[in-house]
Amino acid sequence: MTITIALPSKGRMKDEASAIFERAGLKISTVGNDRSYRGRVEGMDDVEIAFLSASEISREIGAGAVDFGVTGEDLVREGLADADERVDFCARLGFGHADVVVAVPDIWLDVDTMADLGDVAAEFRTRHGRRLAIATKYWRLTQQHFSGSHGIQLYRIVESLGATEGAPASGSADIIVDITSTGSTLKANHLKILSDGIILRSQACLVRARKPEHDGDARIREIVERVQGALRG
Amino acid sequence: MTLSDMPDFAPDLLAAFTARRAERVHTPVIQPADPFLDMAGEDLRRRIFLTASETGTSLCLRPEFTIPVCLRHIATATGTPKRYAYLGEVFRQRRGGAEEFYQAGIEDLGERDVASADARAIVDAMEILRLVLKGRNLSLTLGDQAVFEAVVAALGLPVGWQKRLIHAFGDAAHLEALLDRLARPQPVAGLDPEIEALLSADREDDLIARLESRMEETGYSTNASRSPAEIARRLKEKRALAETRLDGSALLLLREFLTLRLPLAEASAALAGFADAADLKLGPAIAAFDARLAALANAGADLSAMTYRAAFGRPLDYYTGMVFEITAAGGEVLAGGGRFDRLMTLLGAESHIPAVGFSLWLDRIDTLRTRRSGEPA
Repeated sequence: MTITIALPSKGRMKDEASAIFERAGLKISTVGNDRSYRGRVEGMDDVEIAFLSASEISREIGAGAVDFGVTGEDLVREGLADADERVDFCARLGFGHADVVVAVPDIWLDVDTMADLGDVAAEFRTRHGRRLAIATKYWRLTQQHFSGSHGIQLYRIVESLGATEGAPASGSADIIVDITSTGSTLKANHLKILSDGIILRSQACLVRARKPEHDGDARIREIVERVQGALRG
Repeated sequence: MTLSDMPDFAPDLLAAFTARRAERVHTPVIQPADPFLDMAGEDLRRRIFLTASETGTSLCLRPEFTIPVCLRHIATATGTPKRYAYLGEVFRQRRGGAEEFYQAGIEDLGERDVASADARAIVDAMEILRLVLKGRNLSLTLGDQAVFEAVVAALGLPVGWQKRLIHAFGDAAHLEALLDRLARPQPVAGLDPEIEALLSADREDDLIARLESRMEETGYSTNASRSPAEIARRLKEKRALAETRLDGSALLLLREFLTLRLPLAEASAALAGFADAADLKLGPAIAAFDARLAALANAGADLSAMTYRAAFGRPLDYYTGMVFEITAAGGEVLAGGGRFDRLMTLLGAESHIPAVGFSLWLDRIDTLRTRRSGEPA
């Protein structure tokens, strides 16, 4: 069986992932020219590298089409129901940090917690003739946090695929659920994070698709152990 | 038989609906998704089958009948009172069980005599189940949000706290978290000194003006979302609520109430006893509860098969009073019903229309029918 590892295809994610693999003794070379989307690990003939976009990686892992992937925990948890049953987060790689947070306009001086937001959501329809609108691309994480953890059901999600932070000021939504790394974009848009509004502290992870054929495969264990070792070292 | 076949007892149900003067209505299988998501919340999204029209309108396969029947009533501008019946397929994403199955039921819209309408829904559901499940022991559990509302009001809690608790009624974990907060209040802190000063001095107009100018400076519309007045009002309310503390004995009472579970025939006396012992004035709620019991007895209902459970409710804001469900020997729910007086106006009806109804799970009933009578339910 050939083992396939999906790595980010461009940018800092690609460079950082390659650097960690190299430190783990898994030096990656591209097949053909530099821009090729296929690669190999030097010295391991039965391991294949597929360079994909971060969101494709989480999808391919979920489908079991690749064995390993390096991608953000947020994308995996958003993309898959029962993520922990289907994939194994083998290692947190220490880059690509981003928190998925609930942020409200900072002028909402009366709203500091999810409980406050629950009060506001419960009355929103009576006051405004519509439900509280949340702009996000994180449908699943929002639902889990709002209804699963805080008993808030009455809101509507407005899908937002970019410039989500601008939605409250532009009037297309009331609040947002989005990723932030430094918080500066939120601040620039006059938004604040609720005290219990951090849904997930995400970073790039080495993720393994849980497949029965992995059991007892020494190469699988070796890859995991080498990457974990590189992070300790 | 395949799961999507009409169950063989469907004609019996339709005859039973006609005998009860409920007019059968048809609603399209493909429905606009917004009303369902608006009413039940975004959680529903992963439990229904969503699609979109070419123009981007969100559509879904009918996940239940109550909302389509009510929308149809509003659209056809029919007068009330009106009893509707339905029988057809519904579609839901379920981890276990079929994703398309049949439901049937009655929605009773606009009947002003609440006690009789409640009783009729219960009796109809019970009788129709008995008709198609001959010889099975059916048991009914009943809850009443109005009694819970009366208890929290009688405890003297501020309106804001009452709303929180009522909103969580039926969701045990959420309710428990709120009771915890009530036992250990947390003061509001961290406000800008200028805002704090305006708030402490109760200068509401100045506070609103301050919020308004700050919103304008930061490019926020003052009317697209929450307004300055709304924020100022809740800031004040939040401060008052944060200082509210329910003393130990009141919390114990509330918890004791939520554990009540007893034969329905004994529930009136038990509620009156609870009110007396706790020195709470629950008069009107208990009177309404009694009136429903009397109406049930009048309609010849067998109260011995019915249990009252004080904590039983549905945490959706359009359910208002009674809810019930029927099982055979504690198995899966075969019928669920309740009063939803707020739904019609939420869906756009111009006047207040009281509503009560029930729904039968035909796939579960069918499973019980085909199981030999000697087998456990």
